[in-house]
Amino acid sequence: MQKIVFQLNGHSVEALVEPHWTLLEFLRDHLELTGTKEGCGGGECGACTVLVDKKAVNSCLFPVLETEGCEIITIEGLMTPEGGLHPLQQAFINHGAVQCGFCSPGMLLSAKALLDENPHPTEEEIRLALAGNFCRCTGYTQIIEAVQSLGAYEVKEVSVMPRGEE
Amino acid sequence: MEELQIVGQRIPKIDALDKVTGRAKYIQDLKLPGMLYGKILYSKYAHAQIVHIDTSKAEKLTGVRAVLTGDQIPALKFGFYKDNTALKAGKVRSYRDEVAAVAAVDPEIAQEALNLIEVTYNPLPAVFDPEEAMQKEAPLIHEGHKTNVLKIPWKLISGDVEEARSQSDFVAQDRFKVTWVTHCCMGTSGCIADFDLRNNLTMYSTTQIPSLAQKDYLEFLKGMGLNDSRVRIVQTSIGGGFGSKLDTYAFEYLAILLSHKTRQPVRIVFDRKEEFFATSTRQPAVIDISQGCTKDGKLTFRDISMILDNGAYTSWGATTPSVMMMPISSLYKVPNVRYTAKCVYTNNTYSQAMRGYGNPQATFAIESQIDMLAEQAGIDPFEFRLINSNQPGEVTPQRLKITTCGMKECLESVARELHWKEKRGQGKKRGLGMASLIHVGGGARVYKSDGCGTMIKMDDFGRVDVFTGATEIGQGSDTVITQIVAEELGLRPSDVNIINNDTDVCPWDVGVHASRTTFVAGNSARGAARKIKEQILGFAAQELDALVGELTLQDRMVFVKENPERSLPLEKILRKAHYSNQGKMIMADYFYDPVNENLDREFKGNMSMTYAYGAHGVEVEVDEETGKVKILNYVAAHDVGRAINPMLLEGQVYGGITMGVGYALTEQLILHKGEVMNPNFRDYKMLTCKDRVPIKAIVVETDDPDGPFGAKGIGEPGCVPTAPAIANAIYDAIGIRIKDLPITPEKIVAALKQKKT
Amino acid sequence: MHSFEYLKPTSLDEAISLIESHGETAKFIAGGTDVITKIKEKKMSPHYLISLRHLPDLAGIQRDSEGILHLGALTTHRMLERSALIQKHYPALFDAVQNIGSVQVRNVATIGGNICNAVPSADGVIPLLTLGAHLTLVGPKGKRSLPLKSFFLGPGQTLMDHGEILTEFFIPPLLPQTSGAYIKHTRREAMELPILGVGMGLSLADDLKTCLKVRIGLGVAAPTPIRALQAEEYLTGKEVNTETLTEVGRLAAKETRMRDSIRGQAWYRREMVGVLINRLGMISLERITGTKK
Repeated sequence: MQKIVFQLNGHSVEALVEPHWTLLEFLRDHLELTGTKEGCGGGECGACTVLVDKKAVNSCLFPVLETEGCEIITIEGLMTPEGGLHPLQQAFINHGAVQCGFCSPGMLLSAKALLDENPHPTEEEIRLALAGNFCRCTGYTQIIEAVQSLGAYEVKEVSVMPRGEE
Repeated sequence: MEELQIVGQRIPKIDALDKVTGRAKYIQDLKLPGMLYGKILYSKYAHAQIVHIDTSKAEKLTGVRAVLTGDQIPALKFGFYKDNTALKAGKVRSYRDEVAAVAAVDPEIAQEALNLIEVTYNPLPAVFDPEEAMQKEAPLIHEGHKTNVLKIPWKLISGDVEEARSQSDFVAQDRFKVTWVTHCCMGTSGCIADFDLRNNLTMYSTTQIPSLAQKDYLEFLKGMGLNDSRVRIVQTSIGGGFGSKLDTYAFEYLAILLSHKTRQPVRIVFDRKEEFFATSTRQPAVIDISQGCTKDGKLTFRDISMILDNGAYTSWGATTPSVMMMPISSLYKVPNVRYTAKCVYTNNTYSQAMRGYGNPQATFAIESQIDMLAEQAGIDPFEFRLINSNQPGEVTPQRLKITTCGMKECLESVARELHWKEKRGQGKKRGLGMASLIHVGGGARVYKSDGCGTMIKMDDFGRVDVFTGATEIGQGSDTVITQIVAEELGLRPSDVNIINNDTDVCPWDVGVHASRTTFVAGNSARGAARKIKEQILGFAAQELDALVGELTLQDRMVFVKENPERSLPLEKILRKAHYSNQGKMIMADYFYDPVNENLDREFKGNMSMTYAYGAHGVEVEVDEETGKVKILNYVAAHDVGRAINPMLLEGQVYGGITMGVGYALTEQLILHKGEVMNPNFRDYKMLTCKDRVPIKAIVVETDDPDGPFGAKGIGEPGCVPTAPAIANAIYDAIGIRIKDLPITPEKIVAALKQKKT
Repeated sequence: MHSFEYLKPTSLDEAISLIESHGETAKFIAGGTDVITKIKEKKMSPHYLISLRHLPDLAGIQRDSEGILHLGALTTHRMLERSALIQKHYPALFDAVQNIGSVQVRNVATIGGNICNAVPSADGVIPLLTLGAHLTLVGPKGKRSLPLKSFFLGPGQTLMDHGEILTEFFIPPLLPQTSGAYIKHTRREAMELPILGVGMGLSLADDLKTCLKVRIGLGVAAPTPIRALQAEEYLTGKEVNTETLTEVGRLAAKETRMRDSIRGQAWYRREMVGVLINRLGMISLERITGTKK
């Protein structure tokens, strides 16, 4: 076991890890942050996407020891500390971008990485940015619409609107 | 149509909040105390005798709790044809045959244990082509059967096809082929089996058929000698279904056996490779078809014979002809129909239900050939379709009773949207194509019951708990049922709580298949809500000193229609009912079983209460040098009866079409001598976001009298006519007709070269 | 997953001494998208992984005063994709890198790793071949430079010795009137390995018609990425037009050693060589004359 220290969803984490763990294994099996999904284990589907220093990566191929000193954001860290949804999460809900939901966490983090870099992406840019996140349910249309809807995207907290509340 | 408040709204999916925050728990996310990890050893051969299995090294490995082989488990058969076992004893018949299973304290130890199991095989001659498997000298897959042809004589005859053929002015005859494709659920298959001390089983599951799976497992437990066991199925969030979870599988029985042996919970979750090679595909087929028409374009007959590659075992794939009969007999008015299908064992993987259940395969052949026949007759294929379009009131050769039918409207809106008349037949590497569909839209009686139960209880505050048999696989049944109940009871969607994942509390349902959930579970929920409403209005009538008929329930209030001043908040009524002498809780149950028919001995009968219609049109551009096809524009018009939630409905259409485009152009599970060669997303060509197809979805509302608020099913239709619409557009663009799927660039370039010579 | 120690040297010397002391049981890892996949698929089972990510100055894109482009081996595909310099002056490389894997992969996968992996389908290799790239290896025996075109010996096999680290690529100064392009021929639009990958680097004479110099690289056309040398020789000194490009395509196809695979059939791949070379020629011409204006 080796000690690592990094920032995870805004908190400092100090942990003992096995050198051969992937970041995904560490998150899911040891920190029990199961919001990050394993869809293929081979970097081919994007379900395990997390942000490492603001960049989207496949956590299933990311050696855990390379997170030393990094800032990691997982789906659990996308909400504001007060529990408000990220605008992208709200947009996904409002636009029907979620069906079975298995790809949603990874998809959302890829979309966040895109918008953080490029707040007004074209449809083409969105399709490129999300090409590494497979979805079998939606045909992508409503996902693209959700991302596009944040034309005036600002990282601002919005209130939770559960279950179709008006 | 009725004025409605909640039905018809684009209400976000109920469970989307949990899903976008990572809180939804899938089978992969679930751990029970003391849980073991199960893994399966698969065959190394397509067909071989198992000479010996040595598990001694695996058993000695630290952390291993159980090792099972085929000889050590009860010889219990499962599957539609009862030809499958959880572990194979004696011989293996395909690469996906389960040979041994292990439970260990962690998945890596389980994997290591598999590596330590030594299996000695004696390879047998194998057969991979169903037509070869039908030959007398072909190796027998199941010795118990004298032939590889299954004794399921699919045969539908109506009218006199031969007579009609001889009377036809034009006849087309062709052979089409469709191959293996697979569901690609993003969440892989899995389950956790857990026994209590009384041998009651709890199965954490992703099944699409909780009630039928419960029955399957109960039978299996009986076979294990556990006669008094109960089975409870708890569904986790399900990472996609599309038909893949419509049967029970060896891995589930293995989890049960391992858990029973170890007295600990056992989880088996597939990795992606297993998901590709060890789950069941869409049914491949060889389709010989002929159709005829008169000079003025009226269809005279349709004659189809099919050979289905059954694979080594039998699941629902072998029953897809029952649904293929629907488009074969009833897509367009066709007076004379003949259809036969043979299912043939091979040493390939075996098939299952997959979105459309045979309909995409049959419709590919029919609708491709409709264009060919129309060309022979010199009639525009759109006009040809209009001439033969189905109509309300029709009874088809299979005795389907067509009630509402928006086919004509769908065809016309597609033609309009695509500028059919101006743009078709221009060539120049661009082309237009269209195809129609019929599908079950009001349940499908494939099982003895096509029902779904609902129980509703109200609390003291005006909130309602709805216990439904309907399974949620991402399609949005949770939301649709919420809307239906809220509409009926004058509540807000947030007042409705759906409980839909536990057989201990939820009523029976035949399963989420056949695009039936909105229709059947929706009618069931509406029936229960109506009974609740009756009770509420009954109490309110006393309190308001009015007749029940004078009252209405809206916005959490009961009031007198003519005099809205006279009103009571719903919660007051509920408390009044509860806190009085001999008080009463407001609860109701309702079981809805549609008045549809099982197919009779001639495979005829009105299997659905109503039928979903649709037409798709597509504009493509073909690169004649590379053979690549680009979809420029896709229009899909669907008769949905009524859209309960247009946003979720569009999601079904977009998703179905995208899957259908994959079926048409890119997707293929490649089997070489029975072995899956592309068990990964790199080489299995499911479409990416960058491939996104630009789709316009047109909703045609025919307000079906039997549907809940007029609705019909829409889960599957999106992927039914996609492939023939694209094939027809390619023909319009470059004059090349590809008759086997997928339509790859190689096939197009090869066909163009052949055309030139 | 197979277990290993994970070492993070912070200098080249340290990395080399680590690999020397652990010998064949150690492997270098850069972005890890290939190495971790191979370990998971049990195609590799090292006891030590030596990370190159923390070596200074191995990631970067720089053109020096002589016009030589230096690409650090640890430069990620994403860095290349987002480099204005690459987009403007090395369009073939730009074409290639933006279509490798996904954003997630490109964020970590490096151009050096792509080359060391030495698969015939490596998209990053072909444009570098067409740019006449050389590479620098540093190892226990010192430093050496090689032309990329002679680097590959076979699938997964290169001239690199165990213990050597690929540190950088350098690309000779571009001739005037030079451009190029890369076409990755695929079934889908993304997440693909190519059915065929073809790249071209073209320099025109002052008349903007005559080929002064051309390099043609082909991926998935032979066991290793290859140059179509006879085709290049044919075009040199001739006018670049449909007619000559057709002949270039024909010659290049003859230089390939195609095979059937699940990703594509040999006859089709061979056929596509000509189609794509024609298109590459036209795109390159356009790009040169476009930049001229």
